[in-house]
Amino acid sequence: MTTPAPDHILIVDDDAGIRELAAEYLQRQGLQVSVAADGRQMREVLATQRIDLLVLDLMLPGTDGIALCRELRSPGAPPLPIIMLTARSDEADRILGLELGADDYLTKPFAARELLARIHAVLRRTRMLPPNLAKAEPARHLTFGDWRLDTTARHLLDATGAVVALSGAEYRLLRVLLDHPQRILTRDQLLQLTQGRDADVFDRSIDLLVSRVRQRLGDGARGSRYIKTVRNEGYVFCADVQTAAAVAGAAP
Amino acid sequence: MTSRWWPRSLFGRILLVMALGLALAHALTFVLAFTERSMTMRRAMVSYFASDVASSVAMLERLPATERAQWVDRLARRNYRFALAEPLDAPADPSQLARLVGSAVASTLPADRPVQVIDPHVPGIELRLQLRLADGTPLAVDMDEPRLQISPWVLGALALQLALLVGLCAWAVRAATRPLSTLADAADAADALGADRPTVPLAEDGPREVVRAAVAFNHMQQRIQAHLQERMQILAAVSHDLQTPITRLRLRADLLDDTTLRDKLHADLAEMQSLVEEGIAYARSSQAVREPPQRVDLRALVESIARDYADAGLPVQVLQAVDVTCDTRPQALRRLLCNLVDNALKFAGAAELTLEAERPGQCLVRVIDHGPGIPPADLAAVLQPYVRLEDSRNRGTGGTGLGLAIASELAKALGGRLVLGPRADGAQGLEARVELPEALPA
Repeated sequence: MTTPAPDHILIVDDDAGIRELAAEYLQRQGLQVSVAADGRQMREVLATQRIDLLVLDLMLPGTDGIALCRELRSPGAPPLPIIMLTARSDEADRILGLELGADDYLTKPFAARELLARIHAVLRRTRMLPPNLAKAEPARHLTFGDWRLDTTARHLLDATGAVVALSGAEYRLLRVLLDHPQRILTRDQLLQLTQGRDADVFDRSIDLLVSRVRQRLGDGARGSRYIKTVRNEGYVFCADVQTAAAVAGAAP
Repeated sequence: MTSRWWPRSLFGRILLVMALGLALAHALTFVLAFTERSMTMRRAMVSYFASDVASSVAMLERLPATERAQWVDRLARRNYRFALAEPLDAPADPSQLARLVGSAVASTLPADRPVQVIDPHVPGIELRLQLRLADGTPLAVDMDEPRLQISPWVLGALALQLALLVGLCAWAVRAATRPLSTLADAADAADALGADRPTVPLAEDGPREVVRAAVAFNHMQQRIQAHLQERMQILAAVSHDLQTPITRLRLRADLLDDTTLRDKLHADLAEMQSLVEEGIAYARSSQAVREPPQRVDLRALVESIARDYADAGLPVQVLQAVDVTCDTRPQALRRLLCNLVDNALKFAGAAELTLEAERPGQCLVRVIDHGPGIPPADLAAVLQPYVRLEDSRNRGTGGTGLGLAIASELAKALGGRLVLGPRADGAQGLEARVELPEALPA
C-alpha cells in the first residue's frame, strides 16, 4: 500500500472513539484519512477535499446516514463509493441503505482488517467500472415467466404471490442467470459468479444446483422453459427477464 | 364435600343448594298447611260426629228393641258405621283423637252413659266407640281411618311452581357465574401476551360488578404488557448501546502489536458480541408481528434452510416434507427454525427436519436431534430467557441461553407455539415441535 498518492478515506461516525481508532488503523495501513462527526462536517470536508471513499455510519445525530446516502446518490452528485456502518440490529436500515446505492456495508462491531479489506475491494470494483455506473442493486424484483425474484428478501414469488424460499446458493445461481439472460454460461463461470462475497463453502456441483433451482421453478430438464442445458458448454437462461423497482402494492 | 354428588362447577353447586332449599321450603309450607287444615277438619268432624252419634242413640232408644237391628245399617255414614255388638274388653285407646272423640260424644249424651273408645285391631277400622243405650243394649260405632284427600292438581301445581323457581334460579346463577368463565377464558388468552402483541380486552358491559372486574382485568393486562415492553426495551437499549464500546474495543485491539493479547481480546469481544446480538434478537423477537404475513411454501422454506446448513458443511437434513403453503411471516419463521437447528447442532452435532400437515388448519415442523435431550422437568424452563441447564453450561458450549427463548417468542408471534419434548420414536434426543396455524389469527 505504498502508492504515490494514497487513497483518501472520509469516516463519518458520531462516536469519537470509533472514528479516531479506525482512522489511526487505516493511516497505519497507508491510507489518508479524514474524519467527520455528522452530516455538516461531512459536507465541509467533501467541499474542500478530494475524497475517494466514504465510510458512513447509519446512526448519526441530525441528518442520519440514510438521508446522507440519498443526498450523495441524488442525480448530479459526483460518484463516490460508500461503505455503510450499521448496527447488527438495524437490518431494515441496511437493506434501505443498499437500495439507496451504498456499495457495501459492515456491521458493528467490525474488525479493522475487515474494514480495510472492504475499502480495497470497493475501490477496486468501482475503478473497474466506468464512472457513474457504480454497481448498485436498483431492481427490487426480477420478473420472468410466472415468477418474480425478490432481490431484497432473496426469495421467489410464484404466480399467486406465495413465497418460495431459496437457499443461499440457489439464490445466487438464479440471480446470475437472471442477470445474464440469453447468454450461455459455462459451469466454471457459474461456479465463479455464484461464489459471492459471503460465499459459503460451495463444493456442490453446479449441475445439482441447477436441478434444484429447476425443481423450485417447476421446470423439467427436458422441455425446460427457463434454464436450458447447452451440451458440452453450460446453461442458458432462455426466458425474458423484466426488472421492476419496488412497486407499491405489489411489494409484500 | 368430596362426594360424587357434589357438583364440580360453581354453577352446579349454587343451583343444587338453591334447588334443595326451595324444595325443602316448599315441603315445609305444604306440611304446615296440610296439618293446619287436617286439625280444623278433625275438629269439625268430631263435633259433627258427636252430635250425629247423640241423635242416632236417641233414635235407637225410641225404637223397639226388635227393630233396632234393621235401622242400625241405615244410620251408617261414609266413614263410620253403627253395630249392635257386645263391647270388646280392651283398654281405652290413648291417642289424642280417641280422647277427643270420647269426650265430645260423652258431652252430648246424658252424664251417666259411659263411653269408651278403643282400638279394635281390625283392619280398616281406626277406632271403635262403645256405649250402651238407655236399656243397656250395647252399641258400637266403628270409625274408619280419617283420610284427608289431596287433589292431584294441587301436587301438580306445587311441582310446577317448584320447577319455575328452580328454572329462574338457574338463569340467575348462570348470569352470575358466566362472567367468571369469561374472565378465565380471557386470562387463558392472556397467556400469549407479548410486548408487541395486541391485547384482547374484555368487553366492559353487563352488571356493575362485572364491568368493574372487566375494567380491572383490562388494566392489569395493559400493565403486564407495559411491563413486558419495558423489559424488552431495557434489554434492547443495553444491548444496542453496548455495540459502540465493543466496536471501540475491537478497534483498539486491532491497533495492538502484541498478537497474543490481541487474539485473546478478540475472543472475549466475540463472546460479548454474541451476547449482545442475542439480547437484541430476543428483545426484537416479539416485534416479529410487524413483519407482513405472506403465503409461504413451507416445503421450500424448510428445504432451503437445510440446504444452507448443508452447503456450510453442517449435517442438517430433511427427513420428510409435504407440499403445504401457509400464511405466515417468512423471516420470523426462518429465524425460528434456524435457532432450533443451531440448538440441535450445538448439543447434538446434527439436526433433522420434518414438515407435516398435522391436521386441517395446522402445520407441524419438527426439529429432531440425537443429543442428550432435556429432562422433562426442565422442558418448560429452557424456554425462559437466560436459562441454561447445568450440564450444558459445563460443556463449555457457549451461547447465551436465549436461542430457545427467542424461538418460543417467535412461535407465539406466528400464532403458533413451540413445544419441546422427547423424541416421538423413543430414541434419545430432543424433538422441538413448531405448530403453526395455516392462517394467522387476525
